[in-house]
Amino acid sequence: MNARDVVKVVFLAEAFAVTTYGLGWWSVPVVAAIWAIVSSSPVRARVAALCAAGGWATLLLLDMAKGPVLTMGTQLGAVMNLPSIVLYLLTLVFPALLAWTAATIVPSMRKTGTQPAT
Amino acid sequence: MQKGLAALLLAALMYAGFRSIGPVPPLGPILDPANGAWASAAATNFPARQFAKIPGLHDSVKVLFDDRGVPHIFASSELDAYRAMGYVHARDRLFQMEAQTRASTGRLTEWAGKRALEVDKESRAIGLAWGAERKLASYDKTSLGYKALEAYSDGVNAWISHMHPRDLPIEYRLLNARPIRWEPLNSMHFLSRMSLTLAMNDATMRRLRAQSLVGKAAADALFPVNSPIQQPIQPNASPKPRFDFAELPPPGPPDKSVAQSVDARERLLAALNLGKNSETRDAIGSNNWAVAPSRTAGGHAILAGDPHLDLTLPSVWYEAHIVVPGKVDAAGVGFPGMPMVVIGFNRDVAWTFTNTGSDVNDFYAESVDDKSHPSKYRVDGQWRPLEKRVEKYLDQKGGTIATDTLYFTHRGPMRREGGQWLSMRWTAYEKSREPDNYISLATSRSAEEWLEKMRDYVAPTQNGLVADRSGTIAIRSSGAYPIRPGDGRGDIIRDGSTSASDWLGVLPLEKYPSSKNPPQGFLASANQQPVDPLQNPSYMGSDWYSPWRAMRINKLLAENSRITPNDMRLFQTDPGSARADAFVPMFLAAVARADSAGNSDADLREAARLLGQWDRRYVRTNHRAILFETAMRELNRHTWDELIDAKDSTANADLPEEQALLELMSLPASEWWDDRRTPVHEDRDALVTQSLKTAYAKLKAEKGAPDSTGWLWSNNRHANIRHLLRLEPFSALDISVQGGPNTLSPSGGQGTQGSSWRMVVELGPEVRAWSIYPGGQSGAPASRRYTDRLSRWTLGELDEVLFPRTPADLPRSRITSTLTLTSR
Repeated sequence: MNARDVVKVVFLAEAFAVTTYGLGWWSVPVVAAIWAIVSSSPVRARVAALCAAGGWATLLLLDMAKGPVLTMGTQLGAVMNLPSIVLYLLTLVFPALLAWTAATIVPSMRKTGTQPAT
Repeated sequence: MQKGLAALLLAALMYAGFRSIGPVPPLGPILDPANGAWASAAATNFPARQFAKIPGLHDSVKVLFDDRGVPHIFASSELDAYRAMGYVHARDRLFQMEAQTRASTGRLTEWAGKRALEVDKESRAIGLAWGAERKLASYDKTSLGYKALEAYSDGVNAWISHMHPRDLPIEYRLLNARPIRWEPLNSMHFLSRMSLTLAMNDATMRRLRAQSLVGKAAADALFPVNSPIQQPIQPNASPKPRFDFAELPPPGPPDKSVAQSVDARERLLAALNLGKNSETRDAIGSNNWAVAPSRTAGGHAILAGDPHLDLTLPSVWYEAHIVVPGKVDAAGVGFPGMPMVVIGFNRDVAWTFTNTGSDVNDFYAESVDDKSHPSKYRVDGQWRPLEKRVEKYLDQKGGTIATDTLYFTHRGPMRREGGQWLSMRWTAYEKSREPDNYISLATSRSAEEWLEKMRDYVAPTQNGLVADRSGTIAIRSSGAYPIRPGDGRGDIIRDGSTSASDWLGVLPLEKYPSSKNPPQGFLASANQQPVDPLQNPSYMGSDWYSPWRAMRINKLLAENSRITPNDMRLFQTDPGSARADAFVPMFLAAVARADSAGNSDADLREAARLLGQWDRRYVRTNHRAILFETAMRELNRHTWDELIDAKDSTANADLPEEQALLELMSLPASEWWDDRRTPVHEDRDALVTQSLKTAYAKLKAEKGAPDSTGWLWSNNRHANIRHLLRLEPFSALDISVQGGPNTLSPSGGQGTQGSSWRMVVELGPEVRAWSIYPGGQSGAPASRRYTDRLSRWTLGELDEVLFPRTPADLPRSRITSTLTLTSR
């Protein structure tokens, strides 16, 4: 992975975070689909999944810095009969799966293999 | 293949993100870290500076939140202040406000589906929504009260319209619901709901049930109209309680003639949710008292308020301070959903309430044209059309899950029970102007003026206590007291076919129980019978609580002629008990007599020794209160065995108030003492000693040795403060508290009711006040302000209330957040 790829990954994670902030959770598969269309990487779905989880993790960390997220996790976990760690994991897995599935089903407009793998 | 699986998974994820799956709420709005539950947790910490818009504001409003989370609202007009109040209520308590409205209007199915159907049916059948709509329709739309409700709605809706998705309370996410728009009617619904909460148990029912088991003479004596112990709210010139004990007739033969009436009325009350509304009758009672300057250390009047209600999280109360220069400068608590300070103080006056518990609802047996589907009812030989309302119950998706037809006569809602159509008239349905009454209190400049503003108050009847800076203390049991025809009693089912059964009017103000600056130098109320029947025989009810709390506070106040605000605070959680003072010596005397007669044994003597060690104070560290309570339970169960269902001895029986038991103590050979379920014939001493001995044996078996932790009071009584949705993680459970049944801070039953707000106000040159309630200002369970007052409440401590005249008077170090509200 070269520097350009790192920038792309950071940019994509940020895109997930910003669109989630501005539009809502449902924007994750939309961004992933757009990414899949413009990306020619053979692992673009996995990258999308990773970046979506990363974007949401960033938002979660910001929440934790601002307020009692751990308290909420404990309370909500108890309400839903789940250990709170499961909720945190779900918060990362859920966008990852949304992004991976969306990026998987959307065909790339660019042929795979003609660009360096990202 | 992979694409197909991915498409399926994506569809499933999107579905789970948007829709509930069984009990699991939609995952998207929960997990979304920018707008979901995590973000809402982050949003509970308000920024230091905020700006918001409320359409309709005439001028900007500054709201300073102090370090207790209390908003100090500085506005240039009253209506602007109420707009701001709506905004901050919604910001802190939106879910609670809507939950109360839905509970009152029977619309909980729209959140919970069929699970809430029966609760909703009860709410609608009692006509709460119907009554609120009628009241609002007849309300003077030009009055300040109505305009305040409108302004308040503007504020609530401004918050709803502009709030960020992250501000949506967690409960809405769990229910997959969105907030409804607020209307003035919702505030009226809340008032109706409060009237229901404060509707006392039905003494008629208990008396009739007893009559069906032991005959009329005994039932009337066990459930008398007047309290056998008189220490009324309106002082009767007797410094001590007067015991009006009458001869208690022995149990007579069952009166089967009332069985059907009992059955019909019982089912009606159950259906209308007007039956036993209190886990222990006493726990939802309240206290208030005021001391004149002549009996205080500082030479200023001091007032204490202590309403006991359902303990919930968030609290039923919200604390606020409103300043409109030249008009209002009042602080205290109000209900989220209402724009006023209900209990509080201003620069001149402090006020508080307890429930009067008068009989303000009656039942009428109606004659209808069709037993199954009536359309008319007959009065004075003429058929009158019934008002019908077809009620639809909707589910979460708006689908109809049930319909119901409600009928109303001119008296109120009518319902068929036991083959009989019964209608109910209740003062809470009558035309009134409570919002104006409550709002105007904050502008009173003297106790006299305050009383004047309560002159036309209707429901629920309240013992309003007021003190002012000139040193005046006064109390009046305000509200509409119906005048009935005939004997004037309201505890019978009346014939609905004649208008002669209808109310003749309401008692004139001069007949209300009241007192101003009594010679004794203090006033106190604790839900006891408000006026001595020897002084005022007007029928006001027949369901008076035992006056144990009243006796205790009167004793404390009489014993201390240099009372301080701190004394008042200590009185509020005083662990002493007039009930224990009355009964413990009787247990010990009975054991002594049994000992002298050679009827005791080692266990009984040991039980008496342990009970004798008790100082009759329900403190957490005590090991003996539990013995007394268990013995009292045994004594009640065995004494009143005639009133307990022989087929189901575990069923909750409606036993007489313990005043009757005290009365019976002077009749050692009364037939009541015999427990008919045993082969021997017991007298008083036999039953009393047996109860103590049994209690001791049970406690040893269940809780271990008398000095073990099992006997600790703190391990036996708790406060349980449940979240509105009864979600345990959002509740505060098993809180050890000081106090027992019938102490000033009662702890009874399941511990879900109790002292909901404690306030002490000293009316010196500068008014000083202290207060607390169990919970916190925020309705968000994750917020630190959700339960930040709880530990101090548990310890009986109070916070000093900040009461700045201007924003500049509030110390900067105490300001945590500033909210500026503008119209544009």
